[in-house]
Amino acid sequence: MNTTGSVTATTILEVRDLGVRLPTGEGPRQIIDGVDISLAQGEALGLVGESGSGKSTTLRSIVRLLPKGAEIDGRVTLAGADVLTLPDPALRRLRGTEVAVVFQDPRVHINPLRSVGDFLIENLVDVQQRPRREAESTVRDILRSVGISDADRRMRQRPYELSGGLLQRVMIAAALATGPKLILADEPTTALDVTTQEEVMAILDEERRARGLAMLFISHDLDLADAVCDRIAVMKDGTIVEELGAEGLRQHATHDYTRALIAARPTLDPAHTVPAGQPDSSTDEPVLSVRDLRKVYRVRPTTGRAREDFVAVEGISFDLRPGGSLAVVGESGSGKSTTAGMIVGLTRPTGGQVVIGGESYANTRLGAKQRRARGRKVQMVFQDPYSSLDRRQTVRDCLREVLDVHGHVPVAQRDDRVDELIAQVGLTSTHARSLPRHLSGGQRQRVAIARALAADPSVLILDEALSALDVSVQAQVIDLLVRIREETGVALLFISHDLPVVAHISDEVLVMHRGLVVESGPVHEVLREPREDYTRELIDSVPREGWTPRRRSSRLATNQGVS
Amino acid sequence: MTELSKVAVRKRQPLLLRRFATMTPLIRIASAVLLLIVLAAVLAPLIAPHDPTTPNALDSFGGPSGSHLLGADASGRDLLSRLIYGARLSLAGPAVVVLLMVPVGVLLALLAAWRGGITDGVISRVIDILFAFPGLILAIVAVAMFGAGFWAPVIALTVSYVPVLARVLRSVALKERNLPYVAALQVQGVSAIRIAVRHLIPNLLPMITVQAGVAFGYAMLDLAAISYLGLGLQPPTADWGVMVSEGQSSVIEGFPQESLYAAVMVLVTVVCINLIGGWFAERHDISEADL
Amino acid sequence: MTLAWAGFLGRKVGVLVVTLLIASLAIFLCLYLAPGDPATVIAGGTKPNPAVLAHIRLEYHLDDPWWQQYLRWLKGVVTGDMGTSFVYHTSVASLLRARAFSTALLVMYAGAIIVGVGVAAGVMSSLRGRFARTIINVATTIAMGAPTFVVAVVLITIFSTGLSWFPIYGSGSGLLGRLDHLTLPAIALSLSFLAYVASITRAAVDEEKSAEHVDTARSRGLRERLITRRHVLRNAAAPILTVSGISVAGLFSGTAVAEQAFGVQGLGSLLVDAAAKKDLAVVQMISLLMVAAFVIVNVLVDTINAVLDPRLTMERGRA
Repeated sequence: MNTTGSVTATTILEVRDLGVRLPTGEGPRQIIDGVDISLAQGEALGLVGESGSGKSTTLRSIVRLLPKGAEIDGRVTLAGADVLTLPDPALRRLRGTEVAVVFQDPRVHINPLRSVGDFLIENLVDVQQRPRREAESTVRDILRSVGISDADRRMRQRPYELSGGLLQRVMIAAALATGPKLILADEPTTALDVTTQEEVMAILDEERRARGLAMLFISHDLDLADAVCDRIAVMKDGTIVEELGAEGLRQHATHDYTRALIAARPTLDPAHTVPAGQPDSSTDEPVLSVRDLRKVYRVRPTTGRAREDFVAVEGISFDLRPGGSLAVVGESGSGKSTTAGMIVGLTRPTGGQVVIGGESYANTRLGAKQRRARGRKVQMVFQDPYSSLDRRQTVRDCLREVLDVHGHVPVAQRDDRVDELIAQVGLTSTHARSLPRHLSGGQRQRVAIARALAADPSVLILDEALSALDVSVQAQVIDLLVRIREETGVALLFISHDLPVVAHISDEVLVMHRGLVVESGPVHEVLREPREDYTRELIDSVPREGWTPRRRSSRLATNQGVS
Repeated sequence: MTELSKVAVRKRQPLLLRRFATMTPLIRIASAVLLLIVLAAVLAPLIAPHDPTTPNALDSFGGPSGSHLLGADASGRDLLSRLIYGARLSLAGPAVVVLLMVPVGVLLALLAAWRGGITDGVISRVIDILFAFPGLILAIVAVAMFGAGFWAPVIALTVSYVPVLARVLRSVALKERNLPYVAALQVQGVSAIRIAVRHLIPNLLPMITVQAGVAFGYAMLDLAAISYLGLGLQPPTADWGVMVSEGQSSVIEGFPQESLYAAVMVLVTVVCINLIGGWFAERHDISEADL
Repeated sequence: MTLAWAGFLGRKVGVLVVTLLIASLAIFLCLYLAPGDPATVIAGGTKPNPAVLAHIRLEYHLDDPWWQQYLRWLKGVVTGDMGTSFVYHTSVASLLRARAFSTALLVMYAGAIIVGVGVAAGVMSSLRGRFARTIINVATTIAMGAPTFVVAVVLITIFSTGLSWFPIYGSGSGLLGRLDHLTLPAIALSLSFLAYVASITRAAVDEEKSAEHVDTARSRGLRERLITRRHVLRNAAAPILTVSGISVAGLFSGTAVAEQAFGVQGLGSLLVDAAAKKDLAVVQMISLLMVAAFVIVNVLVDTINAVLDPRLTMERGRA
């Protein structure tokens, strides 16, 4: 580990040999050990790592926000004060004036029963003892600078009336309002769409620099941290394994883990991607064909108004050729998951046709036999590895059940087929005997993939199947999918919001926005030369080397309404 | 974000042993006590020293003695025997209630949760309306219609408890049903019945068990109260509720034993059930769902 | 905002009315579900001769179609003409009137104990140290297994031999006298509900204590006491209110046991007596009142909850 900062008069944060033990069922567990951090005034340090690396714990230790029973060693000096030994009143003053925390999910971190305004002025009034009127006017100004123009109205509203992006801006405004010297940001944009993420990060970055605040920025996204920070510290298993200047991260990284993290993350640059799939054999009949698929929901937006139609998916059409790989890309609310649901029969289409392997499935109720037949043609892997498997079934039983239900493998050979499937997804027989709770997220997704393959489908739909996985695990599963596609010739329909991954794994892409297909075509073409504004916006929002988040300052947050 | 963890395959110990080992001392005592009471109920004719209903004026209000270990009541009947036989009746009623209400409640909850839409709407409305009838009231009305005894209160209580159970189970069933693994099974084309029987019910079993235990306790309290009011089992039947009410007039005369012992039996039994139920719920992480 | 509230209240009142109508219909139909000819049923335990039966048939209009009888009955409930009890030989309304006050007082008394002591115990158990928590937990566990009649018997035992703080039997007269006589019944009635409310309160406060928004408040330097008051307790109020509401509503039916045990002349003891004598008319009326009270209390609780958390006023409608 190299520490580039020395203790000078302008050092705002100094962490020396920080160690934290948290109580668990089996006794205290060492979460972080020997962490050193040095942050000068106005400087931004990115703390990057995968889950379990200890980055959140490190951040919380700086303001002593750890659960009861936590044991802390080391020394934390913040704005000249020794945080770990401060008496409570002084600690509270420190928390309320010198440092501010921006948490990950604003919806649970802001009291849902109090107004936004009350939240914003709360510690100005109660900790900094400012008069209420002064606090309100300060807050109003800051709301404007984070792009919320109708501050008065927003302050009267309750958190559930604001969208996620707006709420995070409120969180940032609250952090800025106290006039701290240091901002601690714990994955502030992980829960947001990528375009919203760019906007929020731009605001945070801009305001921070304008006020000369230091920042400790936690993220799992190396490129994002790279873009807004001056230095990056990479954490693994509770320690900092490498510290780098942010410029030229990819070239200068030396530690194996850092290089592995970098390698695991696909880039948008088409030149770097692995050519995926077979050459274009467009003469074959498509294995999946969707025509004018529609889904309309009847909702009552607020009481008193009549029920209206909400169009989730508006007449989309596309083909997927045998062994091909098509990605459907969009942000939340684009309708991509609804589309997937309609193809596998989880959602009844309002209109349109789905033709799989020659058989047409319209929106009538299907009998069990027909559903099973469809299950042999198209299968799906879901987003959440933790609840995609029945927690009471062993892996083996889970796979065996699929074979029993479909009956396409003779009884005597079923156990062997289960073994084959397990090996195919890179698991061992020990895994096969396990219950889901003993497996990691990546392993569970492999099981989910094996379960999908057990029915020998010709189409495999992956509905954000990688989104909940760590970066390094994502890379492994991507490799697995590529290999399976080669081995079995199954066609992949990849639903995602993650463009770099899509660039890596798919031949063609469909961009969806608010229920419509905005653009489509071969992946490399669309990414290199997008024709539509929305596509361009989407591509521009992806953090990558040399990228900085930019604000769309011409688009102030106007009536965004309820989330 | 997931944590990378090592695969751990546990060796399987015998189920009962594992369970007992994880109990705290308090729960072990509660289980033992409950077991004793159940055994007393089952083996009553074999272990009760006297017939519980034969009066014997000579022994009236007798204190603890060789033949009457706990003394005798106003009519000279042996208290210990009455308590032992009382266990039978006081446990039988709740048992019947639970046996009747669980299948119905589970069925309604699954139907509502699985089919959703109109089915759910109708079932939920019916549940809401039945909710307005407290068990005791329903039981009293039933007695007014059909006369006092064992069955009228039991059936009435069953009817009043089913909506409570169905409502709780419905919300848990909904959560379970909306999990991705159910969707995955549907995509496989697995039939609804198979999903319900092989996946939903086994996963809901802990919750169902806890609710059954809770219901048993409440049924016991309600049925004893109904007997106490003279609307359930009638004297001279030895049922704990009846004993409390029969012995109440003796309390002022300085002889509270009959009432107190029976009352304490009710208390102890229900407390044991609640303790074990609570321990079971904690083991299976059921504390968020409202009881 | 106000439009949402109008819709919310409209829906609540609508459901209330429908529930009451259906409940009253069900209660009314008991007359026909009971074994035997309705006239005999109305006569209750008494064995009337054919002349009396004919008289009953006339007075209760038993020859009219059932829905007409129902409407007439319903109208009677609202106007106060609830018919005559053939068992007690007096009008049902006068029977009820004589006893309603005692029961109402008892319910309010017990309700105050439940909410006052129960919530306080739950909050203390969650916020104070391990000692308080353990003691309150033990007390709660035992109390939850103690139904009204058990507590009644214990109290009678204690206060009839030795301590004579409170009178045991009777209803008393005058407000203070009544409260005096109702203390033991109120305690007996409230104890198990109190324990339930305490345990739910503890669970709710426990959960809010570790809520993320409390973390945020702490990270901004607010004092613990302020956090507890403004963020923990305020937010825990909803489930506590709901449970308190259900408990209070359940009190009405519990008066049957409490009044019977202590010899209080209230609606509950009348209900029990009438049931024993198979006087269905009286039983129907009292049941209807108790059901109505239950439903109305629940609507009130829902409304208060919605005031605290306006998210509850929004309709959950999806295709």
